[in-house]
Order: sequence, then structure tokens, then C-alpha cells
Amino acid sequence: MFNEMYLGDDVRPEYKIIADWVAREGVDALLAKRAEAEALFRRVGITFAVYGEGGDPERLIPFDMIPRVFGAQEWRRIEAGCIQRTRALNAFLADVYGAREILKAGIVPAELVTGNSAYEPVMEGYTPPLGVFSHICGVDLVRVSPDETYVLEDNCRTPSGVSYLLQNREVMERMFPPLFASGQIRPVGQYGDMLAEAMAEVAPPNCPGEPTLALMTPGHFNSAYYEHSFLADLMGIELVEGQDLFVDADVLYMRTTRGPERVDVLYRRIDDAFLDPDVFRADSLLGVSGIIAAMKAGNLTVVNAPGSGVADDKAVYTYVPDMVRFYLGEEPILPNVPTWKCGKAEDLAHVLDNIDTLVVKEVHGSGGYGMLIGPTSTKAECAAYAERLKAAPHEFIAQPTLALSTSPVLTESGLVPRHVDLRPYVISGRETRLIPGGLTRVALREGSLVVNSSQGGGVKDTWVLEDGGSV
Amino acid sequence: MLSRTAMGLFWMSRYVERAENTARLLDAGRRMEALPATRAERSTEWESIVIASGCKSTFPHDIEAATQDQVVGHLFFDLDTPSSIASCLTAARENARAMRNAITSEVWDATNEALARFRTMSPDAPHGDLAERLDWVKERGALVRGAIDGTLLRNEGYQFIELGKWLERMDATARLLDVKYHVLLPHAYEVGQGVDYLQWLQILRAAGAARAYRHIYRRAIDAKGVADLLVLNPLSPRSLVTCSDGIAQSLTGVGVRLAPQRAVLNRAYAMRDALHRLSVDEIIEFGLHEWLTERIAEANMLATEISKAYGFDAPLEAEESQVQSQ
Repeated sequence: MFNEMYLGDDVRPEYKIIADWVAREGVDALLAKRAEAEALFRRVGITFAVYGEGGDPERLIPFDMIPRVFGAQEWRRIEAGCIQRTRALNAFLADVYGAREILKAGIVPAELVTGNSAYEPVMEGYTPPLGVFSHICGVDLVRVSPDETYVLEDNCRTPSGVSYLLQNREVMERMFPPLFASGQIRPVGQYGDMLAEAMAEVAPPNCPGEPTLALMTPGHFNSAYYEHSFLADLMGIELVEGQDLFVDADVLYMRTTRGPERVDVLYRRIDDAFLDPDVFRADSLLGVSGIIAAMKAGNLTVVNAPGSGVADDKAVYTYVPDMVRFYLGEEPILPNVPTWKCGKAEDLAHVLDNIDTLVVKEVHGSGGYGMLIGPTSTKAECAAYAERLKAAPHEFIAQPTLALSTSPVLTESGLVPRHVDLRPYVISGRETRLIPGGLTRVALREGSLVVNSSQGGGVKDTWVLEDGGSV
Repeated sequence: MLSRTAMGLFWMSRYVERAENTARLLDAGRRMEALPATRAERSTEWESIVIASGCKSTFPHDIEAATQDQVVGHLFFDLDTPSSIASCLTAARENARAMRNAITSEVWDATNEALARFRTMSPDAPHGDLAERLDWVKERGALVRGAIDGTLLRNEGYQFIELGKWLERMDATARLLDVKYHVLLPHAYEVGQGVDYLQWLQILRAAGAARAYRHIYRRAIDAKGVADLLVLNPLSPRSLVTCSDGIAQSLTGVGVRLAPQRAVLNRAYAMRDALHRLSVDEIIEFGLHEWLTERIAEANMLATEISKAYGFDAPLEAEESQVQSQ
């Protein structure tokens, strides 16, 4: 198993900065600092809401003090791979709602797209400004060795978590200024400017001047409300709810104390289904009638565009490397995890024969629910799952159980390895780019592979070193 | 600023002020109950508090036999009573939470802490604690106001906070003064004597104005003097005149851009000017209770018009945004 801090008994050069720092501070001093970090998080209100379990619904995501580090060289590959993948996904979205070349070429089966619940027929024939559908795309990555990084899944709809990334860094900077003063760690604080710039770049064709940007939240009872208000604040734009907005003559307005004010670019953190009761769920109280019409009339850009979810489906995922080749004429830099599509007879046979060694997932599932982890399941559980598989093979995919890399976390007994993943946030406007870093989620329970915050996961600051840094 | 943000700040501020004023009302009841001479008669202090608080319709007990326990239960702890301290602290905190972007962390901490501490209080604790608890509520109000004063930008949002405070306080002072009307005097006493005097004194104390009265008027407490201090005197921080000045000022600060906003500002100034011109004799002649009842209605009406003019409850018409300001 790959521990990112070590190579054999030696500290890898990327982690030298960490090893020196821990040796200098001492574990006890760092543990004491951890309480301070927690107080800071609570102070700024960086919580997520968990309802229905009693007690204060506002929880902190556990923060581990030991940063995860990427060397300059390692990062260049990840960065290039994420940009490449995001460009292909956006090309795919523009294509499936447009000319459908990739379906005509027989590379992606048409029914995977048109039969997909995230496919929105209302978007057919609509070309968003600059052709970008997924302006903010989260690419979830896992490592298994120093040279092997896989894409686990894509998040083309409204990926969340970037506020943790930014706050983690802010807390670390506040507590350990000398680490950052060395200039070896690349900054991430430009995220807000980068996003606001990209949003301005995709202003709609009929935008009358400097575009007005706004961020739309379902409201303060939403579990991610903190992130919504944080991002709006960061960009200096209004945080609006459905009740603040209305569409008049295909133009979106927000209600202000100065009268209606036009909104040109709307970063919505609300699902497609709730966005516009005229087009999607008619019972949505969170959305605004006429948003889609305003968008199609060229008076509004919706970030991310509705229907983007058709590109991040688990079944479509298997075709992303083909998309890279088809649209960009390049070889994928970051490979997919090898995946068996149970809809194919020979793949199904393989999966059924090896079910005790594989991870089997529902194509449309998310958040780690409804999946089978073969190696940790009983024979009976595997057999029961195999029956479900045989009944509807198209609904499932399978992957090998990956030995996820680990990164050290701070505990009472010193540093111990725990499994991690990484979500960089790729922003697309005129260009496709990302800040150097991502959200590292860590499974804090020993041996656990589940990094979700609802199931014992935590977060870490993630460092990308400057060229020549630390090494 | 978003109309909803303006509304949230306005109501956060009103609820903070209302919690404190409900505490002052309860304090008036507590003080009057302690007066010695009323024992032979049916005591009406607590009844008068419920009436003055505007909660007569929700009071679940026989109002003529209202006791301290019942009234404190209803106006302090009951979350179903819209003006109870429990409801006000909760609503203030919810509004603050929804408006986190528009307030500082210190204002948030002050409102958040108030509710957190309140939740640790038990309604079953002995009565001796009532005075202490009411003081605590007043302290929390002072903390929030202090955080607002010390940390908020003097922008539009601040003006809406001020506006909410002054409107709420105007309503509260009128209601507090009106308590006296509802408390029956024992038969043996006449207006202007013993208990009448003591009752006015307790009203002043609940308004935190007993000493101020001495400083300003240098004579024994009487109805005229109290009415002058709490209605017309611009030196008092709670008088109706001071509140109307604050309303006019904060509305000016909010800014006038649309026709209905102009109308509401004119109305606020008209109310203020009328109060400044009035004499205490005119009020007494009209009947203090009747006059106060009109002022409470007037403040409510103004609040409704403000919310309409600034789009709290309905979208502003697009064409009206063309109206020029000053």
C-alpha cells in the first residue's frame, strides 16, 4: 500500500517539509493546536448541517492538521489531466445537446444519453456562451502508487466542498505562518477571483454591460448553506434565494431595496429539478419560473448549465477516455479505474465469477450508498447482490478494489496512515484552469476506505509545492 | 441590497428590541405586584401586563385571575406566544443566521449566544430569579446593540437595523405607558395620591427612567410628568419623540429612490413633526390611553408601508425604478 509520506523507510522528498515541521513542533504541541483550529472553524461558522439525529444540527467536519503534499512534477500531471478531462466532458455535453456526433459515430451508445434521467431534452439545441456547460467541475482522484492516479468519478453538476479547501488553508496559515512564509507552498486564495472572472466571461449574448453575477442557494436550512454564503462573500456577489428572483419578459431580476436589478450570470447551487417549475418539477418552491426561457433567450447564463449531469453518470464515466480521444485527439493523461459494464455479457460473467474481489456499484447511485464491497462482504451478501445483478445487469458496474494511498494523520499516538482521495475544482470560462490544490478527504477510521463526512471522513489542507520546493 | 436582506436585518433588530421590551413589561408587573396597598382589592397588575403586551387573545388562562406564574410562563418561556422572550430570541437568531453575510461575527455571536444561554434556563426555577432573569434579557439586548454599534459598517443594512429598533421601541414605550391605564386603583385611593403615585413610579422604573425623571423635572412624579418624559421629551432614549426622530433619520439614511419610498418618508416626517408640536396637556385632554392606542396603530401602519416600499413582501414594479431621487 502506498503511503504518500514514505518510500520504503525514507521520507519522500515532497514530504520533507512535513517531517521537519512535525519534528520541530512535536506531536503534543500539534495536538494542542488542533483544539485551536477547531475553535477557529466553529467561530467562522464552517459547519455542515445534519438533521434528524438530535442535538445541535450544525457539525464540524473533522480537520486533520497534517497537510497532504504534492510535488511540482506530480501536480503538473494531475493539473493537465484534469483540464484535459474537463474539456472533453464539456465538448461531450455541447455535442449531445447539439450535433450528437459521438452518438452517430457509435462511440457512446445513444440510449445511455437519451435514456438517462439527468438528460434534459429542454437543453437540445441550446449552446451556452463559449460552449461551456460545466463551469465548475470536480474530478475525484485516487492514487495507488507514486505514478498511478485514477479518476474515480466526475462531478459536472454542482460539486461542493471548495469552501473547506479554502478555509483549511486559511486556518493553517493563521496557525503556522512560517510554513507559508518560506514561499514553497503555492497559494489557493485566488479561487474566488478565478471563478468570478470565468462567470463574467460566460456572460450571455444580450448582457447590457458589465455582467451582474449572483449565487443562488436553496436557503439557510440547506446543509451546504455555509459554503454558499462563503462563496458569495468571497466573490462579492449577492446570495439570492428563489423568492428574491423573478423573470419578466425573459430577463431575470433580483428584488432589491432599489427596485429590480438585472442578473446576467447565475451560479445556482440548487439541483436542476428545482430550478424552474415551468420546465422541471412544477411543485418546486425553491426555483423561479422562467429561468430556462431567460437562458434560452440569451439573457441569462446558468452556471452550471442544466443537464450537465448526463456527463457524470457512472455508466457514461466508462466512456470518458473515448471522449478525450474523440474530441481532443489526445490520449487520456489520467486513466479511469478499470470498469466492467455489467450490461455487456462477457463483463457480467467476469463480475459474477469474481464478485468477492470487486466493488460493484449502481449506475445511478451516489454517496457510497447501495454498493457492494466484495472483500469485506459475507458470502451470503455477495450471493444476494449477484441475484440483483442478474436481474438488471445494465444497472451495475464493477471495479477492482483499489489499494488507495494513505497520508499521515495526527492522533494521540503520533502520525498514523489513513486513506485519502482528492477533488480538484476545475473552472471553465474562456480557458480551463484550476487552483493548485484540491480538497483532500481522509477516512479517519483505521482501515476504512470511506471518506464521506457523514461516515467518519475528515479533511486536510492540500499543498502543491513550487518548482524546487522541498525536493 | 436585496430586499430580503433588508427585511432580515430589520426583523432581527425588531426582535432583539422586543425581547428587551417584553422584559421591561414583565418588570413593570413584578414591581407593581410588590406594592403594599392593593391587597384588599382584586389585583390587576398581571392582567394589565397581558393586555399591554397585546397578547390578550393568546393568553390561555382566566385573564382576570392572571398570576405571575402564568404571565411569566406565557410571555417569557412560551414559544407559541409571538412576543414572548423565547420567541423573540429565537426569531432574532434565525434572522441573524440567514443574514450572516450582512452582519459581523460579533453581532452573530451576540445573538447566537443569547439563544444558547436562554435554552439552558428552566421555567420551573423559583420566582426569586425573575428580576435577575429580566436583567439578563436586558443585558443581552445591550450586548447586541453594542456589537452593532461597534462593528457594523454604516451602510444601508445598518440603517434598516436602526429603523427596526426605533419602530419597535416606539410601539413598546406606548404599550408600557398604557399599562397604567389598565391597572385598577384601589377604591380608597384617588388619582394623584399614594398608590397612583407608586404605580407611575414603577412604570418609570421599568423604562429605566426613574432617575431621569428627578433630574429633569425636579418634582414629584405625576401622570403629566411621566407622559411628558416618555412621550415628548427628546432627551429620553425611549420617548415617542426620540423614536420618531430615529425613524425619520434611518429612513433618510436608507435612501429614497422609488415613489412609494418617498411617500413613506414623508409620512414618517409628518408623524415626527406632529409629535414635536404636541403638548402634554393636549394629550391628556384627548385621553392618554386613546392617544397611545392611536400611536400604536400608526407605528404599525408605518411599518407595513415600509415593508411594501422596500419590497419586503411583494416585488417592486420595474417601471417605478425610473423615479429620480432628490
